[in-house]
Amino acid sequence: MDGFTYHNIFDTKGIEYLAIIAFFAILIPFWIVLNRQVKMTRQLKRKLGILTASMLKIPQGIFFSKNHMWTHLDSKGIAKVGADDLLLHLTGEVKFSKLRKPGENVQKEDLLAVISHNGKQLRIVSPISGEIIAVNTLLQQNPEALNEDPYLKGWMYKIKPTRWIAETSTCYIAGEATGWSVKELERFKDFLAASVERYTPEPSNLILQDGGELIDQPLSALPEEVWKDFEHSFLGTKPKYPHFRGLEKSGYDKEYFQ
Amino acid sequence: MNKQAQTLAKDNDGGSIFKFILSELRPKGRILTPFNIIAIPIILLGIVLIVIRFINGIGSITNLSQDTPWGLWIGFDVVTGVAFAGGAYVLTFMVYILKMEKYRSIVRVTVLNGFLAYLFYAGALLLDLGRPWNVINPIIGNSFGTSSVLFLVAWHFLLYMIAELIEFSPAIAEWLGTRRARKILSGLTMGAVIFGITLSTLHQSGLGALFLMAKDKIHPLWYSEFIPIMFLVSSIFAGLSMVIFEGSISHKVFFDQISEKNHKAQSGILQGLAKICAGAMFAYFFLQLLVFIHSKNWDLINTPMGYWFLFEMIGFVLVPMLLYLYSYRTRNILLIRLAAILTMVGIILNRLNVSVIGFKWDAPVHYYPSWMEIVVTLTVIFTEILIFRWIINRMPVLRDSPAWVEEEH
Repeated sequence: MDGFTYHNIFDTKGIEYLAIIAFFAILIPFWIVLNRQVKMTRQLKRKLGILTASMLKIPQGIFFSKNHMWTHLDSKGIAKVGADDLLLHLTGEVKFSKLRKPGENVQKEDLLAVISHNGKQLRIVSPISGEIIAVNTLLQQNPEALNEDPYLKGWMYKIKPTRWIAETSTCYIAGEATGWSVKELERFKDFLAASVERYTPEPSNLILQDGGELIDQPLSALPEEVWKDFEHSFLGTKPKYPHFRGLEKSGYDKEYFQ
Repeated sequence: MNKQAQTLAKDNDGGSIFKFILSELRPKGRILTPFNIIAIPIILLGIVLIVIRFINGIGSITNLSQDTPWGLWIGFDVVTGVAFAGGAYVLTFMVYILKMEKYRSIVRVTVLNGFLAYLFYAGALLLDLGRPWNVINPIIGNSFGTSSVLFLVAWHFLLYMIAELIEFSPAIAEWLGTRRARKILSGLTMGAVIFGITLSTLHQSGLGALFLMAKDKIHPLWYSEFIPIMFLVSSIFAGLSMVIFEGSISHKVFFDQISEKNHKAQSGILQGLAKICAGAMFAYFFLQLLVFIHSKNWDLINTPMGYWFLFEMIGFVLVPMLLYLYSYRTRNILLIRLAAILTMVGIILNRLNVSVIGFKWDAPVHYYPSWMEIVVTLTVIFTEILIFRWIINRMPVLRDSPAWVEEEH
């Protein structure tokens, strides 16, 4: 071929350019591997005791009410209700005390149960209206089930709903529920800063680690006043909640109100 | 153990400094530790050898000759030791300039380590000089010798030692309980850091530049005009690997000096350093590859020295780089430490390959260090560790500063 001259790539700079191009080509995957979020972060954070939204269990097929309760309707038309994972991560290990018996009727946002940790209590309310069918008696014998498996073994009541569609329309489900949990966690941080300052003598950096990360079970070490505040701000339990509305007739746990 | 820690670590609180220093000079803790049992006889033997060397001359205890004037003392003590001391400039850059606060708890110990490394390993240079008293000449100007790379190295070593001493001095002031001095000295820290980083980058490469003059003596696989750059880049991960290695040992040996918070931070720090090492070694490996291509020494690869070169590049650069990457990804602290040790062996190999093994590789009579040279080298290392331990057991290096420091901030 006329006009074609062959250059030995080894004799010219060509191979060096190729090596530099190869360097940058390999640098890209190397950099990605080096900087990708480490897959064990979730377990690690749990071990370190940092609470983040990615740690929360949020099943995509159940309804979450604004009061941090969940509900799920089975094929027989019976709904299970319980407390959500976020709430249980905030409180730490809690004991469940029922306030209702099978056969009673409850309205949405009626008092349903008390969860307690070292004498500090939170009153939780019903996400739906209906008739109580059953109480999870296993929770009495095995209180850890509540924290370990809040959505399966940790259910609290079975309720036959009366206004399911209307009442679950205000609940969060699937992606919405995930997004809401993230926001709630952020709101909790703000709440904590304000509430802790109000009720504890010296603001502690125990709750928010360096970088503003929440430690797991932040409420467990805080005084009862903060729990009351939290109940009011997050669980929708009215401060002067008529404890006894609809409860007079039922044999509610008398100890609790003494 | 805890009780011992309290008695071990106590700063002067307003008493006479002179009396305090006298009381601190007494040895603390047990005398017969495993380290002492090994180190002290070697140090005593080493001192005897050093005395013989100064009475009878350098040829009396070394295998050095007119043909190979530089041996183990330069190749290992000075060239390798300075590379390992590189952790100080990298870490001060990260903490004081980039404000990576995560690493602040290990800055002091790293600077101390760097300072002692320069003091001892550059000090070991005196053993190697035929007329050691002439070492002062480039400083006082009795013929500066400005055209020599050694002029640069001499001045840099001196200035850098002063800079590191200033960086470390707040710890000494805290130990002695001199508040005013601490205030002044910690005000100097930033300037010393910036000055120190500049000096470090220049003399890490300057040490490499020393070998540029020996083009025909160094094996072509190790010689290139880029040796200074290679020395600088490799000093980054050499120094950080030393920090990982030294930190892991300190963590066990001086367990009771380290606060709860810093104990917990340790694994995060090691992971961060592993990531930086992986990145730096990746760049270094490709630089070496480029230099190799550039120098067109293909045919030399299939020779015994070529295999040795591949052994160094693959076994002690590529493998520890991948190991750093893997252990960072999986958060495996044990593997990070293993990678650090492999990297350090690789750095020792590399520096010895340039300065001893590949130096006059084709000479009929090859240089091997005598046992006495090795004993003197060990003496230098062990003495440094003893001083290091003496300081750690007294000054607030690993443990937290005294309470009054917090109050003044």
